[in-house]
Amino acid sequence: MVSPLFELRHVSLAFGGLKAVDRVDLALPAGGLHGLIGPNGAGKTTVFNLITGIYRPDEGDLRLAGRRLNGLSPHRIAHAGIARTFQNIRIFAQLTVLDNVRVGCHVRARHTMAQAILRTAGHIAGERLIQADARALLDTFGLADHAQELAGSLPHGQQRRLEIARALATHPTLLLLDEPAAGMNPTEKAALKALIRRIRDHYQLAILLIEHDMSLVMDLCEQITVLDYGQVIARGTPPEVQNNPKVIEAYLGEPIPGASANPRAEGATRGNTKNAGTAGTAETRPEDHPGPEGGQG
Amino acid sequence: MHPRDPRSSQFRPGLGGVVLHGAAPLLGIVALALVMDLLVAPLLPEAWYAKVLADIGINIVLAVSLNMVNGFTGQFSIGHAGFMAIGGYTAAAVVYYGSIALWGDAGFHGGYFSYCGLGHFNGPWFGGGDLLFVAACLIGGLVAAVVGVFVGLPSIRLRGDYLAIVTLGFGEIVRILIQQTPGVLPPESAATVPAPGRYLHLGGALGFTNHPFYTTIFWIWLAVGATVLVAWRLRNSTYGRAFLSIREDEIAAAAMGVPILLYKVMAFTFAAFFAGIAGGLFAHQLGSTLNPADLGFAKSFDILIMIVLGGLGSISGAILAAAGLTILPELLRNPPHVWPLLVPVVPIALALLLYRRRRLARGWGILAGGIVLLEIARDLAVAHGVQLSDYRMVFYALSLILVMILRPEGLLGTRELWELWPRKRKGGAGVRASS
Repeated sequence: MVSPLFELRHVSLAFGGLKAVDRVDLALPAGGLHGLIGPNGAGKTTVFNLITGIYRPDEGDLRLAGRRLNGLSPHRIAHAGIARTFQNIRIFAQLTVLDNVRVGCHVRARHTMAQAILRTAGHIAGERLIQADARALLDTFGLADHAQELAGSLPHGQQRRLEIARALATHPTLLLLDEPAAGMNPTEKAALKALIRRIRDHYQLAILLIEHDMSLVMDLCEQITVLDYGQVIARGTPPEVQNNPKVIEAYLGEPIPGASANPRAEGATRGNTKNAGTAGTAETRPEDHPGPEGGQG
Repeated sequence: MHPRDPRSSQFRPGLGGVVLHGAAPLLGIVALALVMDLLVAPLLPEAWYAKVLADIGINIVLAVSLNMVNGFTGQFSIGHAGFMAIGGYTAAAVVYYGSIALWGDAGFHGGYFSYCGLGHFNGPWFGGGDLLFVAACLIGGLVAAVVGVFVGLPSIRLRGDYLAIVTLGFGEIVRILIQQTPGVLPPESAATVPAPGRYLHLGGALGFTNHPFYTTIFWIWLAVGATVLVAWRLRNSTYGRAFLSIREDEIAAAAMGVPILLYKVMAFTFAAFFAGIAGGLFAHQLGSTLNPADLGFAKSFDILIMIVLGGLGSISGAILAAAGLTILPELLRNPPHVWPLLVPVVPIALALLLYRRRRLARGWGILAGGIVLLEIARDLAVAHGVQLSDYRMVFYALSLILVMILRPEGLLGTRELWELWPRKRKGGAGVRASS
């Protein structure tokens, strides 16, 4: 097998006594489209927060193109080439749509702050480059007409797209999408599916996707990793995962009737609500809130 | 086009464009200062108004600089007067003890543009004192900026109310430390105290006195121009947008590669630098006694109120609010009639009502009612000989409460004055052609 672009090796993280992520392995080839699924609270977003440096792993290795990323702060991870979107949209609401994307371009700014204040040639060239880049992205994402609107005033679906555009503005080699289809209607989901494919083909990057909409995941992803209670319980192609008894158990509970003493019985209800495609109930899980100190790294 | 396309980085503007970009704003700043000094100030009906014009300028520098921390990066600093005090005392010490070292006395050695005494000045256009004063203000700004780095560091771990408490504490520590300093050395005995310790004779609680006065409308408005230009350019660059993104969402900003810790501290450093310069200007005003009591948290709050009222993040809002809140107490000293304001307000309110723009009409109706109340209050106060300026703080508080009820985001919100009226925005066609 070719060496993967991105790799998680035996990564673990515990919150106190709770093993949120337990020796997770994951490998993505360049240009791969990989799904990360699992019932609520399985640790999917925590994995994303580990990858993007919001949390540091207790053990294990994160590698991007051979480079070890453990312990880097979030902005350095972004510099290294990993960009993400968030489960609860985190656009810059009071900035314009164009400025949101231009913030994404900031990582590549070559001109210094002194040049910006003195308005030197380097500044002018740099800003033009950013402007052109951001405009091109807005065109690709069909947001060009809204460039000067405040991002917070966009409808939900467009905010999701803007978040992806902003992430792409950093020119990542790995893009993490955290429930991009949450809150979308079937038409929007179909458009999103096409968009994600196009992004992957056009920018030739690897995409790691968390999603609860099973039809979307099964259609899109080439490889799927299933998490439950912080552990990888299955991996493989969509058909393999769909037919894996462990996965069915994690989502639907054990197929033994009246097994209420089993801790998995409670997991059954979790899984069921998720299968119905209602992703909005995830608000109170600890993994959704990196916490006030989270962004400080 | 593929965004990773390397060929898009080859743009280079011509030399002429660079010179125009570089020089025109600098000339504009000097022109602003000259206009204020030579045209506006002499036209004011009373010489005393020139003091108001000067105060407006200093307050604009303070408000625009604090806006870089509170408005751009969304931190909550309420110790801005501390930086002002550091800059002011540093500048005063450099000018006073520097004058003694250079000329053996602490008199005025400046030229025409630094002369702020009364009566005609028939000295030279420029003097050594000018240079000393400008250098002192810059040194004051730099010292304040260095301190700003250290005050900004706690922002790595603290935010919101907690950072506010730290900055408040910082301001008070500065004030109390200055109060503990020994008295200002008279020119004769200054040389007897060895150098580093000499500069710490800052007058303590009695204040720094007997230093020469250099601050004129010219220097103040030069600083205003420079501060606004830097703030404006910073905000309208990729760095400014990065600052704003920290205000909007720190976690998302970090995930986009914005080094939030560095930029938060940088915002503090910039703000402290300009506050230090404002302090230097404040210290050398005609007749000023630099007193630590004037630079306590009450001053910090005044500046904070200005930017909150103007709208956090809005540069023009900070300028407007700084000017308005400086003029307000002066107006209260000898309050003019306010009813003439009804002449435009009432027809607008009626017209809006006629066209069924209910929400807007209500706002203007409240405004008209407020004017009527103000007029009644003004007439009552004048009739009973009440000195309204004694109730300055009450009016401050009332106006703040009103703004917070009617426009919680401040007068301008995060926008600029000229963005209030919707219009076709520029920045589309020309740039897109190049992409």
